[in-house]
Amino acid sequence: MIQKLLRTNEFVVFLILVALCIVIGFINPAFFSISTLFDTLRGATVYYILAFALLPVIIAGGVDMSFVAIAAVSTYATHMFLISIGFEGGIWIYFAISCVIGGLMGLLNGFLVTRFKLPIFSVSLATFTMWYGFALFFIGSTMNFNLPNGAVGYYENYLITVADPQVGKTGLNSSILIVILAGVFIWWFLKYTTIGRGVFAIGGNREVAVRSGYNVKGILLTIFLIMGVLSAAGGVLYGLLNRFFGPTVLQGNALDVIAAVILGGASINGGKGSVIGTLLGVTLIQVINRALILCGIPAEWQKLVVGLILVVFISLPALRARKANKMGHTTAMMELE
Amino acid sequence: MDEEILRVEHVEKRFGGVVALDDVSLSIHKGEICCLVGENGSGKSTLIKMISGIYAPDKGDIFINGNNYKKLTPIESIHEGIQVIYQDFSLFPNLTIAENVAINEQLAEGARLIDWKKIYKTAASGLARINISLPLDAVVSTLSTAERQLIAIVKALLADARIIVMDEPTTALTQKEVNSLFKLIFDLKSQGISTLFVSHKLDEVSAISDRTIIFRNGQKVIDQNAKELDVKKMEFYMTGHEIDDRAIQFTKVEENALPLLQVENLNLAHGFFDISFALKPGEVLGITGLLGSGRTELALALFGELPIDSGKIFIDVKEVFIKNIVDAVHAGIGFVPEDRVREGLFLDHSIANNIVVGIIDHLKDRFHFVDDKQKTKVGEEWIKRLEVKTPSGELPVKNLSGGNQQKVVLAKWLASDPKILILNSPTVGVDVGSKAEIHELIRNLAKQGLGILMISDDIPELTNTCHRVLLMRNGRIIDEYTQENISVKKLNSELVKSTGLDDASLGRKEK
Repeated sequence: MIQKLLRTNEFVVFLILVALCIVIGFINPAFFSISTLFDTLRGATVYYILAFALLPVIIAGGVDMSFVAIAAVSTYATHMFLISIGFEGGIWIYFAISCVIGGLMGLLNGFLVTRFKLPIFSVSLATFTMWYGFALFFIGSTMNFNLPNGAVGYYENYLITVADPQVGKTGLNSSILIVILAGVFIWWFLKYTTIGRGVFAIGGNREVAVRSGYNVKGILLTIFLIMGVLSAAGGVLYGLLNRFFGPTVLQGNALDVIAAVILGGASINGGKGSVIGTLLGVTLIQVINRALILCGIPAEWQKLVVGLILVVFISLPALRARKANKMGHTTAMMELE
Repeated sequence: MDEEILRVEHVEKRFGGVVALDDVSLSIHKGEICCLVGENGSGKSTLIKMISGIYAPDKGDIFINGNNYKKLTPIESIHEGIQVIYQDFSLFPNLTIAENVAINEQLAEGARLIDWKKIYKTAASGLARINISLPLDAVVSTLSTAERQLIAIVKALLADARIIVMDEPTTALTQKEVNSLFKLIFDLKSQGISTLFVSHKLDEVSAISDRTIIFRNGQKVIDQNAKELDVKKMEFYMTGHEIDDRAIQFTKVEENALPLLQVENLNLAHGFFDISFALKPGEVLGITGLLGSGRTELALALFGELPIDSGKIFIDVKEVFIKNIVDAVHAGIGFVPEDRVREGLFLDHSIANNIVVGIIDHLKDRFHFVDDKQKTKVGEEWIKRLEVKTPSGELPVKNLSGGNQQKVVLAKWLASDPKILILNSPTVGVDVGSKAEIHELIRNLAKQGLGILMISDDIPELTNTCHRVLLMRNGRIIDEYTQENISVKKLNSELVKSTGLDDASLGRKEK
């Protein structure tokens, strides 16, 4: 049982996370505080949602870059539109409009991928560039800090508040509920819907999925729709928590999210991945981020550390394969395929 | 006669100008074991794809259970009980046995949500139907080939298969596994399930077939009770001409020539033990044994892919140390892999490019660029010498048939002028006609003084080309046959004898 657990990447990430927390806590006891926990979660909120958005696409065997563009541009467009009509209402209108726009943007990727049988990565690279360009040219080129009255206070909309000796009053932002909602939805979608299982099937062997009678095009369109909608939701939260909307936000974060999903045990070749793993992957990257700051190590190290962990992670399957290969047997080699 | 399940009437299918199927009619009855035989490109796979609804016929009708289909869809085909087990078994390697097995039911019902309890129940009942027990939550990628095949069959049965189409099902199986597959097919027959067994292993066809259908060039050339067809006749119908094994001329190996390759006490953990033999110039030495006997490992070791743990290798009486593939190539060893598509060729590149890839350094002009003219010349030369059937050397290799692809792999190595050529199952997936050509080619190469080491479990292939054959079992050479004392029958029975023991003794199945 433990052996089996050890073979899952999720568990390994979990162990690394625990070990890391213990080490940091040892160096800087301030790490073990409720406010650190809340802060970490708050910092991770947007990435959790973006990672959930991306997860089904990665399981289906594709890597998408454009979800960050969708997150940025759908929300920036929504925001600029609402501001221009003098909207002063709450956040739900933001979510509603952005998610519709985001969903459509996601569907465009899906359409290009299914209609013209194009590789997901290439399509997303094109739409990534295109949408950021579109925002700058047609919507606006500057960040906008002018939030409507109904949305401006959301950044301190706390579920629980705590008084922290160092930072004063802080709390658990209610955006965590949206994270939970998105996570439970994706988990349910992947485990309990026929389309969700189809995502694994496509990632495992697309040709076979077609032959088995899966509606592969429909499945791909669905996951791109989900990706678009969730990315937009993530984008709205990014704007609300940081109190500005910009045309090119998140541009450099696509790879961080992809890295988090891979760290969480998803295979870049498709067919594998889980919500729990993704959650752990994002958390690990966030904790490393914070930990290095708390330990007084420059933030630049964060990328190096994450990169090193990734190197170890992506080598794990290859190392296992090599071990089996040393056995020198035809059968053993076939089993790995 | 029993109830007719499938009838295909006058179907025709063209791809561009090529006629893949030309006015073919056939039928399959309940509980019948039908064998479909034909060379590559004879239209077998087109027919399979047609009855499974992947291709629509240009002309003709398909009747399943009495229903006429002009344009059959995959889903309709599945509903009518036609199940195709492709060579890759159409399984999802990343999913569990349970899900793989029960997925069709979910899809057939059009269920939007997954009922996991039901999936496990369905899977358990499916495995029970053919009396096998495997952990339902095991991920398919951890199973052996034979186990995967069983899972594919269970999957077909659960889809209420009335006809199971098996496309070259025995390619990757050991003899023992083939036997149990045959038992299972007979078992299905008694349950009233028909099998369409597609193969070009003719001895297997004669062992199992009720009725044999042979295709050639997209046409059905014969459809007959299997008892009336022996292997020779089948070969004749497949190729359109008789293949005569007896007229083979072997050249004598120079008795007192110095050995080209000599190995002494080679060992590789989990692979082979204490292997010694010598190969003389002009000799074709066969090495045979079952999967897991160590034959493949030995070939890979000599080519440096799985370097030996201990032992000595001499080439031209000089000791050489082969630690990797580069060493082997330098020592003058060429290697034609079993899986030519993955390991031997650049499929999208031209035939000429593939041939010269090993000697590209010698084809530079004075500016150190590759000399295109010379490349084409060398390419054409080898295409002519090995009689590769192609209109031009510029065509991509993937357009060639299996046999001609194999010739290109051979040409690639021959171009680099090796002393020793190791062939690993050189005619797997090659049709009967090209097979005879490749055998002829191998004998001719030996005549020119090359030493050839041929790994194969195709017994007629060994007797048709080899001067001597070594039999391996459990990683050791246990017997040697010369041309005087070799016979297909004897080798066959020796091979089968060695089943079952090797796994345990090598500690392979520790999982």
